[in-house]
Amino acid sequence: MKLPLAIASLVVFAVHGVVFYDQFFHKWERYQTAYFDQVRTQTKSDAERNEMNGRSPRIEQIIVTSFGDSRVDRCTTCHIASDDPRFAGHAQPLKTHPYLKELGDVQRNGVWERRHKFNDFGCTVCHEGQGRGLSEHYAHGEDHYWPEPLLGYVTQEPWRKDLLPGLKGKEYMQAACAQCHSEENFAQTPVLNRGRQLFFESNCYGCHRIEGMSDGVLGPELSEAGKKFKIDYLTESIVDPRAGMASSFMPKFNLSPADVKALVIFLKSRRGVNLTETSLSVFRSRLHDAASVSDTKPVAPGAADVVARGKQLVEDRACAACHKIGDKDGGIAPDLSFEALMKDNEWLVDHFKNPRGRMPDSIMPAFKFAVADFEAMTAYLATLKTPPALGAPADTYKALCARCHGDKGDGAGPVALYIDPSPRDLTKVAFMNSKPRDRFVASIQKGVHGTSMPAWEKVLNEQQIQALLDHVESTFVKEKRRELKARKVPEKNPVASAKDSIARGEQTFLARCTGCHGRKADGKGPNSLDMLPHPRNLRNHPFVASLSDQRLLESILYGVQGTAMPPWVDYGLSQREAGDLVNYIRSLTQASARPQLRAGR
Amino acid sequence: MSANTKVTPRENVWRDLPRNLWSSIFRHPLPSSELGQAQTSFTNFFLHIHPVKVNRHTLKATYTFGLGLISLFLFIALTVSGVLLMFYYVPSTTQAYDRMLDLRGSVAFGTFLRNMHRWGAHAMVAAVFLHMCRVFLTGSYKKPREFNWVLGVVLFLLTMFSSFTGYLLPWDQLAFWAITVGTAIAGYAPFVGDKIKFLMLGDTQVGQEALLRFYVLHVVVLPMVMTLMIALHFWRIRKDGGLSRPPEADIAPGTEAMSVQVIASPAPKQSFGLMGIVRGPFTKVGNVPENTVSAWPHLLMAELLVFVLTIAVLLVVSLLFHAPLEEPVNVMHPPNPAKAPWYFLGLQELVSYSAFWGGVGIPGIEVLLLILAPYLERKPGGTGRWFAKERLLPNTLFVTFAVVNIILIIIGTLFRGPNWEFVLPW
Repeated sequence: MKLPLAIASLVVFAVHGVVFYDQFFHKWERYQTAYFDQVRTQTKSDAERNEMNGRSPRIEQIIVTSFGDSRVDRCTTCHIASDDPRFAGHAQPLKTHPYLKELGDVQRNGVWERRHKFNDFGCTVCHEGQGRGLSEHYAHGEDHYWPEPLLGYVTQEPWRKDLLPGLKGKEYMQAACAQCHSEENFAQTPVLNRGRQLFFESNCYGCHRIEGMSDGVLGPELSEAGKKFKIDYLTESIVDPRAGMASSFMPKFNLSPADVKALVIFLKSRRGVNLTETSLSVFRSRLHDAASVSDTKPVAPGAADVVARGKQLVEDRACAACHKIGDKDGGIAPDLSFEALMKDNEWLVDHFKNPRGRMPDSIMPAFKFAVADFEAMTAYLATLKTPPALGAPADTYKALCARCHGDKGDGAGPVALYIDPSPRDLTKVAFMNSKPRDRFVASIQKGVHGTSMPAWEKVLNEQQIQALLDHVESTFVKEKRRELKARKVPEKNPVASAKDSIARGEQTFLARCTGCHGRKADGKGPNSLDMLPHPRNLRNHPFVASLSDQRLLESILYGVQGTAMPPWVDYGLSQREAGDLVNYIRSLTQASARPQLRAGR
Repeated sequence: MSANTKVTPRENVWRDLPRNLWSSIFRHPLPSSELGQAQTSFTNFFLHIHPVKVNRHTLKATYTFGLGLISLFLFIALTVSGVLLMFYYVPSTTQAYDRMLDLRGSVAFGTFLRNMHRWGAHAMVAAVFLHMCRVFLTGSYKKPREFNWVLGVVLFLLTMFSSFTGYLLPWDQLAFWAITVGTAIAGYAPFVGDKIKFLMLGDTQVGQEALLRFYVLHVVVLPMVMTLMIALHFWRIRKDGGLSRPPEADIAPGTEAMSVQVIASPAPKQSFGLMGIVRGPFTKVGNVPENTVSAWPHLLMAELLVFVLTIAVLLVVSLLFHAPLEEPVNVMHPPNPAKAPWYFLGLQELVSYSAFWGGVGIPGIEVLLLILAPYLERKPGGTGRWFAKERLLPNTLFVTFAVVNIILIIIGTLFRGPNWEFVLPW
């Protein structure tokens, strides 16, 4: 028993020894002693020499109260020479902080004077890092958990070595400058200004909201991006948007490393509240400029060539970041290469002004460009009339259909993820064989309203369409068409649309339909996630308006084969109830169509 | 001055002062005889909790593994380090995290104290659990020790609750979300769940009120209640005749079994006073050849060894591993997954299947079964031996429950990733 007791006691003593050593022999004490020694040997004044003789190492700290929450900066404990001009040539940590004209430092009679005095500003206001730390690891914010590592010097997670060199550099500190110098185009923060410019040039603002700057709703709000995210995360999100979230539909923009850095610095400067603002001043300014700012330079009307200007605008504003135009392909949105053959000018202008007015589930941001710009861009798109060269039906399918419907016809083309309602799965035999061929021909010729299916009649003639359908049937459907059962569905809704009919329809809808179509009838009911194709958004007014009563009644009473929509006659739904439902559904779109159309004008 | 003249020449006040002082504090010299050892144990406040004599079986390391003592010493280490930490801690949402940074950066021994307190707390939960396993698997809760088992179960729950309340105090992301998850589990109780949660948090979510409540519970209420319970726990051990042991352990090797009968002689009426009331087989009546040794030095040395070993391990672990301190609390940014402290991850895992059964039903039933165990298992025999054959059924049931809980904790800790989906830890 005595041996283990002795060993254990020894361990206890040994650990005490180590802990006490750590406690009483700090690195920073050595730095301070070295500083005192150097000053003693260099100084010419006896007073200073005596002062240094009397000094022993101690924790130095600056308490900063003027900039946001009060900070305790103990950085000068190690960097004790930071304000001593004699140490300009020394190595860190005993190095003088440089005097820089850009920072507003001035030289008077050969003596530099700082604009940002350390006693007022501390260190972390500009450099970030953890002011309270006394060891390099914690103070510089190398600790994985510290949200604000030293800007431009320390990165915590070298998870992608290729990004690492871009994450270092003094420029990153401009994000901290902007915490007080928030005015646009502040001359001392050129990289940040470039980032702000890029935020508009690269269409970031179309999707992302930053308070007081942009109103995009498609992407995450970035008003406080600088507070929430570290520069490594911001950089990765721009360079490779899907690295962090596989379901992100943010396009991968082709930006130069310098531009990425500028954007990151701009985003890092977005922290909601500014260090010089109080919540009261923010509230006041919000009251005053409630009107949102349009940061795009309007093109002067009457310029020489509207089409050329439109082309310029389409290129400048990076439409091809999402769309395909000629050789450029963003891989997100439909092909615009021969847009004039599919859409008329009115549709295009409407769609520019309010993308959801014509296609209620479009993900295209509503850009706040000048109307003249929209018209110029439309004028340019209206010149894209060259039909694509077409060959055999299989090649036609590849060239025109596969982008949405997929090479395998399963509705999973490269852009299908971004298209809502999703492209039809042409391999679903039950659906394909339950609809008359005429309907498919009509869908191809005229398009499907309220969806991304355009009208192909100016690209394909009747013969080509028939050949294409044959190709689809033989390659994807693969089953012989059966005789369609004749169903007794009245052509016109037998129930007249009236208040009580709509009210009855609403009750039936709430009882039977909300599980899939949702309480708002927007197709997002609780069961909808597991269903492919997703339930229809019944508030899609162009789509609903394009349907005849007969087709709506048929879909309700006899179901839609190949989808989750069941034949409701089997569940005891009477024709009168179906009629009430049709009236209810139509009442929804009539109510919702009006404000959206007004927004589009 | 007149008093001085009365001093006999043989006594010198100043020369004898140290000796007088010493002997006034310690009434006996270091004991050399059995009588001296007994007297020392009996008169010293700190030693009187010990019996004068202790059964050899009690000292067998492989019987108890010193788990109860380890729990006690960890409790003491936690109290000492905790009190020192209290000098620096402020239970305020605006200051707590900064105080943590100060403890880590500039307070003398701050990091080390925090490490000791953190790892000690985890170790204590584990040690108390293992102690409970030991007591069950050796059948030690049988008559007359039923209620002491109940006290033990309550102490186990108090230990977990102490650890849980302490978890919030650093006020970092880990603390905030672990307590958010942990108190949400309490909220799944039927009818009163929301009320219990509100009572614990003083609010609908974790905030300043919760921090203050958890602080007061952690540093005042729970330690005091636990101290009282520990005193009761020890008192009962003494009154129940020391640690449990098999009946044959009371017979010294080589003596006749018949000597046991002497114990059964009626208690004397007058001369032994209180001693006559003491029940059980350990009554010091008659010259019974017991299988015992003096508590001084045998028991004391054993305790010292356990103490030094516990402290040594705690110190080494605290030197090598730093207590985590994550980001400052960000209410808008929950980590994914947000996990409760590890000893509640079994519950969280169950909660992921069913909120009520995982959070309230199953743990409630388990605690109830634990408390009732000595009243349900009434068959005598099997006490004082590990995995006694007579107790095959209860032992099997207990081991099954324990292993299932441990497996659930392991799954919850290592195999659960974002959205509580199954992931491999490697």
